[in-house]
Amino acid sequence: MHKGVLMHPKKNTAAAAAGALTLAITLTACGPSITSGAPDDAEAASVDRLQAPATESPRGEITIWDRSGDLFNVFDAVIDDFNEVYPDITVHHEAVDIDAKLQNTLITGTDVPDGVFLDDAKVAGFSEYLWDLSDVLAPYTDDIAPQKIDVNSLDGAIHGVPFDLDPGLLFYNETALTDAGVDATQIETYDDLLEAAREYQEAVPGSAPIHLEQSAFLGQLQLEMYAGQLGTSIADENGELRLDSDEYRQVLGWLDTVNQEGLGTRAEYLSPSDVGALESGDQVFYPWAIWFSFAPEQQLTETSGDWRAMPLPAWEDGGARSGAMGGSSFVLPKDGENADLAWLFYEFLMFHEDGYRAVWGENDTYPNGLATSIPAYSPAADPANPLFGPVQGLGGQDLWTTAVEAGEQIPGGAPAPAWWTGAVDYLGTNVQRMYDGDMTPDEVIEQSTADIQTNLVDRQ
Amino acid sequence: MSVLASPGPVQGGVRGRTGARPLLRPWLPRKVAPYLFVLPFIALFVAFSVYPMLFTLRLSFTDWRGSGAAQWVGWDNYAYLLGNEMFWGSLGNSALLWLMIVPVQVVLSLLIAVLLNNAKIRMRSFYRIAFLVPFVTPLVAVAQIWVVVFDQNYGAVNGLLNILGLPDVGWLTTTAFAKPTLALLFLWKTTGFIVIILLSGLQSIDASVYEAAAIDGASRARQLRSITVPLVRRTLMFSVVLQTLAVFQMFAEPFVVTDGGPYNSTTTAGLHLYEHITRGDLGTGAANSFLLVVVVMGLSLVFVRLLRTED
Repeated sequence: MHKGVLMHPKKNTAAAAAGALTLAITLTACGPSITSGAPDDAEAASVDRLQAPATESPRGEITIWDRSGDLFNVFDAVIDDFNEVYPDITVHHEAVDIDAKLQNTLITGTDVPDGVFLDDAKVAGFSEYLWDLSDVLAPYTDDIAPQKIDVNSLDGAIHGVPFDLDPGLLFYNETALTDAGVDATQIETYDDLLEAAREYQEAVPGSAPIHLEQSAFLGQLQLEMYAGQLGTSIADENGELRLDSDEYRQVLGWLDTVNQEGLGTRAEYLSPSDVGALESGDQVFYPWAIWFSFAPEQQLTETSGDWRAMPLPAWEDGGARSGAMGGSSFVLPKDGENADLAWLFYEFLMFHEDGYRAVWGENDTYPNGLATSIPAYSPAADPANPLFGPVQGLGGQDLWTTAVEAGEQIPGGAPAPAWWTGAVDYLGTNVQRMYDGDMTPDEVIEQSTADIQTNLVDRQ
Repeated sequence: MSVLASPGPVQGGVRGRTGARPLLRPWLPRKVAPYLFVLPFIALFVAFSVYPMLFTLRLSFTDWRGSGAAQWVGWDNYAYLLGNEMFWGSLGNSALLWLMIVPVQVVLSLLIAVLLNNAKIRMRSFYRIAFLVPFVTPLVAVAQIWVVVFDQNYGAVNGLLNILGLPDVGWLTTTAFAKPTLALLFLWKTTGFIVIILLSGLQSIDASVYEAAAIDGASRARQLRSITVPLVRRTLMFSVVLQTLAVFQMFAEPFVVTDGGPYNSTTTAGLHLYEHITRGDLGTGAANSFLLVVVVMGLSLVFVRLLRTED
């Protein structure tokens, strides 16, 4: 062995250990600073309010992230219209898997886009990274659906430019119901819906007329739609859990009754089982967000044209006839280079007639208009001036008017807490246990409250 | 004087084996040179493996959520996980999936590999490729097929059962069947890869060993038991370790097919870890990662120890 090449084994090990230790200490020093105390409240409370550009001819480049798919194409087509108003702003429009990329991008602060399309339920979770849009939105806030402002607000700041309002509607198979002698238009409350389902089942033995969602995630989303009608949600504006309430007992009790009486088809949203039951006439009532309109239009080939939509039933006479289910907004990260220019893009898209007409009106992607949501901005959501046309899958129904009128009834809400999706493991799963007969509504509330409090709220 | 006849070093040219001094020697000590040669690898390894690992370890003792200063919480994240029902549930789910997958896969792959190694089989190349096709098919596409084929009311599998007079089974919607259905997907997807690994092991066995055994009257089964298995034991054990890692890190399959349901019965250790990360709880996610590392390393060491004992 050559003396100069290799050291003595013990020396070698010691040197390696020392090197590793040094390396470990050096490397672990990289990254966020660690404190042992609570964060500075004053610092945490400081807000960053975005201001619109002061110049008359703003110029620069912006990067906008959207999900790939039809909506991307719709937004992409609006860029030319935007550039007619703002010719010096270049828009780099990118189709991105936002759920996979946004978190890491915001944490690392590398190549941060100027604007991002984001689910409302995720806005609160990223609020620390986002501009407060209170000042730029001020001229419009009075005309935006209260639920959309509330869902984007946290600690007095508004973190998203509201995009769409997704009112819950009751979709029903009018042809099948008429054949069975059931008049769905008479349904005004959830008790009426139960009664109509019983009548239908009597006329069509073996049917299970009302949809019960089997996906834990979508089941929880639907539960929030029902609760939203009663003006509540899983957490209040301070992030405090408020599941243990009469409103949730009422909703869960009703769902339990549907299940116990065998009036529900339990299936995942538009899974083969779900589609089969919808096409066969076994499932004729579908309380869901407006985006279910896509199904009779494209997926339910056998019953397309048989379906109609009406506002959701109310929980009590005179109660709100809709609640929001889902929805998205545009957020502007603080680390984006030209967030103020991105605001101009979204302002054009949502609050200028040329913009919102290009999104919801007839376009190359949707020749009849975008009928899976309505604008959150009330001047755009005018019942007298429909942006999208009658929906053939709904027998040529004027869905615009139905949805806009339902949307007007959605009560204000609260921001979805950062732990909302984590709650699916508890609340969403326990609702499924209730459908399996393993839990009562009270047990769902009690168990979910305890688990969410311990595992999610207390660990924020 | 001819240049070719010159005995001295050729300046700037290739040196002979003897009598030549390396050009680098004047400024590079010889004992440093080996380290310099491995430096590119070490640099990449440190940047992309060591640093992320140490960073994660550090994170696991904080409550960091991606921004601002991280607050030191000591062992809190570990204590929380070790007392958390869902963490243990996810490990239990992975352990059960391991039992459903790895032993079956090892036996099945070995038998297929032995058959494909037989020179008398026609279209061997075709079969080898055919077994590998599921492995290279995008998982999301396969998963969607699984969802349709195993649908409770309209799936082909229940259709076949109905023809035989058997009732529908909730393959993906009941806790009793969701795990086996997921295990079947994993088996179908990855067995071809293990077959290829075992084939390479089988091909290293000298044919004369089998010829000698045949002359001595050993049956095919005896040859498999007494020659094939002992001689590919290391390859088998490698496959077991590889699949143990894969099963405990399994993420995409349950994510796409069952989303961890029903009742979290298919929430694997890998999927549970991901759930912490997606809700921004990076500290708990990091602690979960390290606990998973401990479990997987422990299992791998057991298998390695078993292998050495056999040796």
